[in-house]
Amino acid sequence: MKDREIDQILERAAQVPHEVDARLLERVIGSIGQSMSAVRPRPAAGVLVGGLVLISAAVALAGAALRGFHGIQKMNGWERASVFPALIVPIWLASAALVSETIPGTRRRVSPAALLATANLALLAIFAVLFRDYHTVNFLYQGLICLATGIAYAIPTAFGSWLLLRHGFAVNPVDAGLAAGTLAGLAGVTMLELHCPNFEALHVLVWHTAVILVSAAGGAYLHGLIRRSNSKPSSPDY
Amino acid sequence: MHPDSDLQILMELYQEGDLAAATTLIHRLSPQLHRFFVVQLASRAEADDLLQETWLRIHKARNTYRSGEPVLPWLYAIARHIRVDHYRKERRTGARHRRLEDAPELAARPPEPSGDTPELAAILALLPDSQREVLEMMKVAGMSLEEVARATSSSVGSVKQKAHRAYENLRKRLSGVEFVKRHSGGGS
Repeated sequence: MKDREIDQILERAAQVPHEVDARLLERVIGSIGQSMSAVRPRPAAGVLVGGLVLISAAVALAGAALRGFHGIQKMNGWERASVFPALIVPIWLASAALVSETIPGTRRRVSPAALLATANLALLAIFAVLFRDYHTVNFLYQGLICLATGIAYAIPTAFGSWLLLRHGFAVNPVDAGLAAGTLAGLAGVTMLELHCPNFEALHVLVWHTAVILVSAAGGAYLHGLIRRSNSKPSSPDY
Repeated sequence: MHPDSDLQILMELYQEGDLAAATTLIHRLSPQLHRFFVVQLASRAEADDLLQETWLRIHKARNTYRSGEPVLPWLYAIARHIRVDHYRKERRTGARHRRLEDAPELAARPPEPSGDTPELAAILALLPDSQREVLEMMKVAGMSLEEVARATSSSVGSVKQKAHRAYENLRKRLSGVEFVKRHSGGGS
């Protein structure tokens, strides 16, 4: 059997009229008619992506301004030129991924899970090249402080993202949560890179990048919870 | 004029609060959406519920449609979400479990033609969910590979692969079935 024959069978089958109960359609039109009003279409995707990048940058800068720019002051030019572009690029990509997750039927350039893995691996590689001091002091204590600080700044980023995108519709809430968590975690790490003067390799490799993982996992988990707890209609608005 | 252009104009009018445009959209797209649910092994009653829920959801999310973008991927992405969510709820309540027990029997059964034309749902029932969905969107809704990729949040390559596997599966399953001879128009 050839593809053409299968096509013919499918085409013939598809041509058979498929009727829908007219009363059902009247009911749907009636329900929609009751709340019919003009709506403002969402801004262009580029505007939303720009807004998310700005929110992330603002939260990271505000956090560093409050706690001190000790990290960036301690970095040499090479370290600054390597670390911050390596954060800005995934922030932009995560913003684009999050926006596309909240608009049904958008072309998906990268999946949030692939983005999370790539961003983490890229940061790990850059940190491993730049920071060579493998001696550690108070590894756990210092690390937990940085993790908590990073998460503390990821939360307002996530909240700001939600405010900007709250009128969207996530067809896959878990992926949307993953993208939102990744973006928020990246903002948290940016704040840490601006602020944290601890350049021990293991500290940066383990605890700074953990902020992204914890934040992404939290985002996916929360959105999963919302989806499960929602009754009809069944998805959270972003 | 691209067949989707009309739909784009209707969607824009719908966003402006035009009930007549919404009514036209509902009448025009409901049969294919309903068929989309039936083909995914839903009963007619379930498909009715899913269709109703889909339109209510579309109404709530109509601001997310972007002018100039194809309508069908946007619409099917929402319909697909409603269907997945419905199955998830069903599975939780146990009803899905019962139906899954029946599913292998249904999938193993060769399609039975009714009259001169085989039932689309019966043909596509031979395929796994993801392949069935892709083929339904391409062959019934008339969507392009790119549009199916958008509707299913996947890549064009992945859609191509699923369509290719669906054809392979159908070729294997339909070969030797009597209705092939009757409905292929005798072409070789």
